[in-house]
Amino acid sequence: MDPPPRRLAALLLFLLLAAASPAARAWKKDEFRNCNQTPFCKRARTRAPHSLDAPLSLAAGSLSVGPDGSISAELSHPSRPRPLVLRLSALPPDALRVQIDEHYSVSTPPHRRFYVPDVLLPDIEARTLHLPEPKTAAGVSTVALSSDLEVVVKHDPFELTVRRARSGDSVLSFNSHGLFDFEPLQESKPEGETWEEQFRSHTDTRPRGPQSITLDVSFHGADFVYGLPEHGSTSLALRPTRGPGVEESEPYRLFNLDVFEYLHDSPFGLYGSIPFMIGHGARATSGFFWLNAAEMQIDVLAPGWDAAAAPANERIDTLWMAEAGVVDAFFFVGSEPKDVIKQYVSVTGTPSMPQQFAVAYHQCRWNYRDEADVDGVDAGFDEHDIPYDVLWLDIEHTDGKRYFTWDHSAFPNPEAMQRKIADKGRKMVTIVDPHIKRDSSFHLHQEATEKGYYVKDATGNDYDGWCWPGASSYPDMLNPEIREWWADKFSYENYKGSTPTLYIWNDMNEPSVFNGPEVTMPRDALHYGDVEHRELHNAYGYYFHMATADGLVKRGEGKDRPFVYQELSLLEVNGADVGGFFGNPEPDLLVRWYQVGAFYPFFRGHAHHDTKRREPWLFGERRTALIREAIHMRYSLLPYYYTLFREASVNGIPVMRPLWLEFPDEKETYNNGEAFMVGSSLLAQGIYEEGQKYVLVYLPGKESWYDLRNGSPYKGSASHKLQVLEESIPSFQRGSTIVPRKDRFRRSSTQMVNDPYTLVIALNSSKVAEGELYMDDGKSYDYQQGAFIHRRFVFADNKLTSFNMAPDNLGNKKFTTECVVERIIILGLSSGAKKAIIEPGNREVEIESGPVSLRSGSSSVVPTIRRPNVRITDDWTIKIA
Amino acid sequence: MRRLLLVAAVLLGAVAASKPPLDTLGIPPQDEAYYKGGVIKCRDGSGRFTRDKLNDDFCDCPDGTDEPGTSACPEGKFYCKNAGHTPITIFSSRVNDGICDCCDGSDEYDSNVTCKNTCWEAGKAAREKLKKKVATYKSGVVIRKQEVEKAKEAYAKDEVELIKLKGEEKILQGLVDKLKEQKKLIEKAEEEERLRKEKEEKRIKEEADKLAAAEKKATDASQPVDSKETNEHVKEDDSKVGIPVADQHELATEHDNHVPESETSVEQHGSESQDDGRIEAGIVHDTAAKESAPSTEEQDPSADNPEGLSREELGRLVASRWTGENVNEVNKDDKKGHEDEPEIPEPAEEALENELEVPEPAEENYGGYHSEIEDDRHKYDDEDFDHESEDEYVSDHDEHVHSYKSDDDQKHDQPSDVTTSGKASWMDKVQQTVQNVLQKFNFFKTPVDLSEASRVRKEYDDASSKLSKIQSKISTLTEKLKHDFGKEKEFYSFYDQCFETKEGKYTYKVCPYKKASQAEGHSSTNLGRWDKFEESYRVMQFTNGDKCWNGPDRSLKVRLRCGLSNELNDVDEPSRCEYVAVLSTPALCVEEKLKELQNKLDASLKQPGHDEL
Repeated sequence: MDPPPRRLAALLLFLLLAAASPAARAWKKDEFRNCNQTPFCKRARTRAPHSLDAPLSLAAGSLSVGPDGSISAELSHPSRPRPLVLRLSALPPDALRVQIDEHYSVSTPPHRRFYVPDVLLPDIEARTLHLPEPKTAAGVSTVALSSDLEVVVKHDPFELTVRRARSGDSVLSFNSHGLFDFEPLQESKPEGETWEEQFRSHTDTRPRGPQSITLDVSFHGADFVYGLPEHGSTSLALRPTRGPGVEESEPYRLFNLDVFEYLHDSPFGLYGSIPFMIGHGARATSGFFWLNAAEMQIDVLAPGWDAAAAPANERIDTLWMAEAGVVDAFFFVGSEPKDVIKQYVSVTGTPSMPQQFAVAYHQCRWNYRDEADVDGVDAGFDEHDIPYDVLWLDIEHTDGKRYFTWDHSAFPNPEAMQRKIADKGRKMVTIVDPHIKRDSSFHLHQEATEKGYYVKDATGNDYDGWCWPGASSYPDMLNPEIREWWADKFSYENYKGSTPTLYIWNDMNEPSVFNGPEVTMPRDALHYGDVEHRELHNAYGYYFHMATADGLVKRGEGKDRPFVYQELSLLEVNGADVGGFFGNPEPDLLVRWYQVGAFYPFFRGHAHHDTKRREPWLFGERRTALIREAIHMRYSLLPYYYTLFREASVNGIPVMRPLWLEFPDEKETYNNGEAFMVGSSLLAQGIYEEGQKYVLVYLPGKESWYDLRNGSPYKGSASHKLQVLEESIPSFQRGSTIVPRKDRFRRSSTQMVNDPYTLVIALNSSKVAEGELYMDDGKSYDYQQGAFIHRRFVFADNKLTSFNMAPDNLGNKKFTTECVVERIIILGLSSGAKKAIIEPGNREVEIESGPVSLRSGSSSVVPTIRRPNVRITDDWTIKIA
Repeated sequence: MRRLLLVAAVLLGAVAASKPPLDTLGIPPQDEAYYKGGVIKCRDGSGRFTRDKLNDDFCDCPDGTDEPGTSACPEGKFYCKNAGHTPITIFSSRVNDGICDCCDGSDEYDSNVTCKNTCWEAGKAAREKLKKKVATYKSGVVIRKQEVEKAKEAYAKDEVELIKLKGEEKILQGLVDKLKEQKKLIEKAEEEERLRKEKEEKRIKEEADKLAAAEKKATDASQPVDSKETNEHVKEDDSKVGIPVADQHELATEHDNHVPESETSVEQHGSESQDDGRIEAGIVHDTAAKESAPSTEEQDPSADNPEGLSREELGRLVASRWTGENVNEVNKDDKKGHEDEPEIPEPAEEALENELEVPEPAEENYGGYHSEIEDDRHKYDDEDFDHESEDEYVSDHDEHVHSYKSDDDQKHDQPSDVTTSGKASWMDKVQQTVQNVLQKFNFFKTPVDLSEASRVRKEYDDASSKLSKIQSKISTLTEKLKHDFGKEKEFYSFYDQCFETKEGKYTYKVCPYKKASQAEGHSSTNLGRWDKFEESYRVMQFTNGDKCWNGPDRSLKVRLRCGLSNELNDVDEPSRCEYVAVLSTPALCVEEKLKELQNKLDASLKQPGHDEL
């Protein structure tokens, strides 16, 4: 189905757009555990600071620098069966890794704790710095991490602080409230103790007993903390969940769950989990990432929660509780938020470069029912001159929810259907979910059963759950061998009816189990390597997705970038279902959703099967025109978006950004959940009410902003009360930027390849601006060997210059294009110049007054260089005469 | 043939060889004059451009005036001549995009594809198609004229009938009133006699007993009690084709008061209507629950308490939230598209309140398209309209059910004791009979003449039953004539017809002015009740059908198009529970459209491309 879509992808760092869905009424609160029903959470949450029975202390003599340059030490308490091993390592530039696990050689429990594999970059150990010998005095050891950063380790009780060496300002601290608790694994169940847990009709046998970990982390200098996707929230900053002024609240829960009609303002866990938090304030920015795939509950504590005599305003305390696993945590210290993100991706990796079509508009519905329906929808776009790139098929396209098959009565000729779509440069996507129908005549089930590839239940039999197909089992994606087996299922030979223009959508990978506890798999189910499901739950979808993506790479013989959409939240590629999954939006609000959705990194219309059809042309001519314009705007900005995806793939900075990522010094932006940035050049703010007349928009920064539609300038660092227009949501280009566009509209992005560019220059007060353009073939990996064009445009001294940004030593593949620049629009240019001179060639071109965007009735108000026709690949200058 | 291909090749050559001159590129012939001057205005008034900027691949007029032949303006249009076929105008976004849109290939004059000129073939095919369409229209127009004539006659006839019926109603009402008076007198006399007899009871007990017994027997005799079972059986069968025989029975059994037949029909509808009653209650509950928030859970007692469910039940329950299926009906995932159908038991139309207010008028055929006069007269001549004749009818009717075909179910002869024609005779007869009875009865005879009393009662019952029937017919006919049958009453015959088609396992039935349904086996879903015509009689709209779980009330739009007979086709459900279908009918074969098509055909045959060939 469409679960993913149904799911709002709320992203860390991203604005959450509240879905106008009939949410609250249907959320089955009772079917999900709250903290009080979750013993490890209840225990940890009700504990007072510094009240542990067995606080851990560092054995001074155990502190040492190992041959790999990391520091290790033992943490212990006499009551424990075995000490803990602490390992500190540093990753340049400013990241500290803290690992804590049990010292198994002292006394050996039947099972070891689980480390989440295949998430961290493989070269991470190689990049570890060699730390200097710690300096110890008065029970405190200090280690220099870099010239201005040091780690201070207090021995008893154990406490760890990262601080600025020069100023002594703390940035992040661990266990400063004495809440660090690490329940030791026990060798056997003590007499009279009960390990089983009950929730509703489900019993969790918990054969390995208690093993939870709790720790407190403080973000010094932070005004707000952000992150912990994925939650339904209308606030970008994480609201406190405990402490003075906070009403009864659950902690933020990270536990992937297939929630039907979730609450839109709740700390409750949704479809994906990323245990990453950023603290930001005027004085400091820092980040904390805990690599752990077990259920996690996190409290954001309001100042004064610890009954401290003088509540510190310049610090935010947080409490992290995990059911199992180890401590493998990263402390990131930035001078600004982008540094923290860069450090995070230096550990986990950057998002891969998407295909060009993935950045364009997608059309989905549960379900396009048959080939005629697909044909009709495809034709509808053409009839109304609305571009789209991808048409999606939800679960109904299969033969009885057996993935990799087709319902042959509805889709008798899937290959011909895909080819017909592909003839217009478009693609299709089919859904493949992890639940395999337990049907002995289904080859996939036969094979998985025979090979023992399914996740096992607590008794060791194939786990038998319930999902769309009815009784289902789940391939154990933790096992690399099974992932490889799965990947092979995507070959054209194995996936009958698939063609090279068919891509994949993974859904229901929480994993969703309709009759399981909390609609997911029992925690005592067993995976590869004797790992309990509780230990890897939040990463199951990750491995599933990994296997599918590998499958598409394999299918394309490594030449075609995979496109696999999944419902788990991603940092970079995200976007709510345009129109909302459930219910029927008011037609005017559907238009608004398209207008804001056109700015999402991932732009897809989607709907539940109970909704009315809502293809863009079904709401009258006027609304069709408005939706067409919104989609056109996205298509014209595709060169800019593609360039942003390139940036994300290099340094991890997301396409859609909170304002404070670009304006970290401006306090007004910290809690602004209304507007968002697309890259560093555009700002947009949605309109969420029907018939709204005015809207207040805060435009950050010193420089002016220019209305995207008509070029009108607005002052920066100011709130503007703007009249709400039918035609667009408030959207602006920032002064000092240059945005590349393609202003010709085609059926799909495929036909735009050779179309000429428009450059929109928005000058700042110094009459300076700059921007970038990245392009490649849009589909292969040749860019990794140098087959791309990366230009940098700088406007200064009345002259626009195009520079090559691509290093020439990346490889021997080349990408080239005949594309030219057909138009240069200059916002904020005061001179009345009529001509420009192009070099080389000393060619003269006209400057005339033109519209900012080409629509009937738009007025010609902006100086426009007409047909400079310089090649986009070349170096050139254009001087305003 | 060979010659034609050669010519086509020449045309193709011409396209590929040279880029057309910029000053005509993409411009329709009728607009060429607009572009003659040295300075040309943008059509939207936003500016002007010099002739050298025409088709220079840069958009100067945002509305596209200056770039008819390129892709430079987003709102531009490109004209392809398509010699040999029909000229078309395409979006500028299609120009040189690598996809051949014009059959002459003129839209790809500067791209990396070579388009074959397919205009001659395509034009030929299109002309053939157009010719066929014109031919259909030609025949259709003739049929339509006949139908319109028939409809007008029938309409007039119905109007006359209505007037007649009203007249008869008046007369019959008079008779009934008289008989009622008489009956009262008899009853009064009887009562007096009874009292008198009671006084004598002790004395002549035996005799009194005997008398009382006889009296009771006489009363019973006037009620066809023993026919009831049969009647209900009949009703059940009838309801499947929607024939309100029920009315007759009800009227035959109901005595004094004229109970609106629709109400009684629910109560007495045999087993099927009992189901309906239950379902109706369910619906009411549903509606009420819906208004007060979390309806679905309330309906399903297990929803709020999944504990105690089996694992499988729990799985189904959770799945059902996403799919909107009824839990008890789950595991129909494979039956794509219509999974939800069975979740709400069908509220048969009789159970719906609205329906009840409107007596099913379909069943009686007023149309006069076929003769039932003799049958009816025969039945009337029978005078004693009794259950025996009904039994005959039942079997008779059963045969009809078996041979029932989509659009002629209304043509079955309906047994009726009130016929449209031949009334004069039966009315005379009734009057005569009543007169006889009235005259014959001697009120002053004591004790009351029992056989005379029972005759009066019987006559009263018969007459009031007939009156009810006439009133029912009046209301039925009035209801019918209220409808909109089109400008020329061309849809008049639709009133008494239903159209059917099968799509997969479903049978769709559309009864204009009444309702539409989807049947699968024995279960039937109401897709909507007649709402109105839309789009100038090109669409029939049925709304307020059975409610979809978690969705809208079902509805159906039937698009009408010209065809030589009435045929229902292409039923589809583009949105959940919103159905569409196509009905071909001569009613849509209008003369103006024929002329238009003929002109189009003539024009296409005169095209330059065609002439060359």
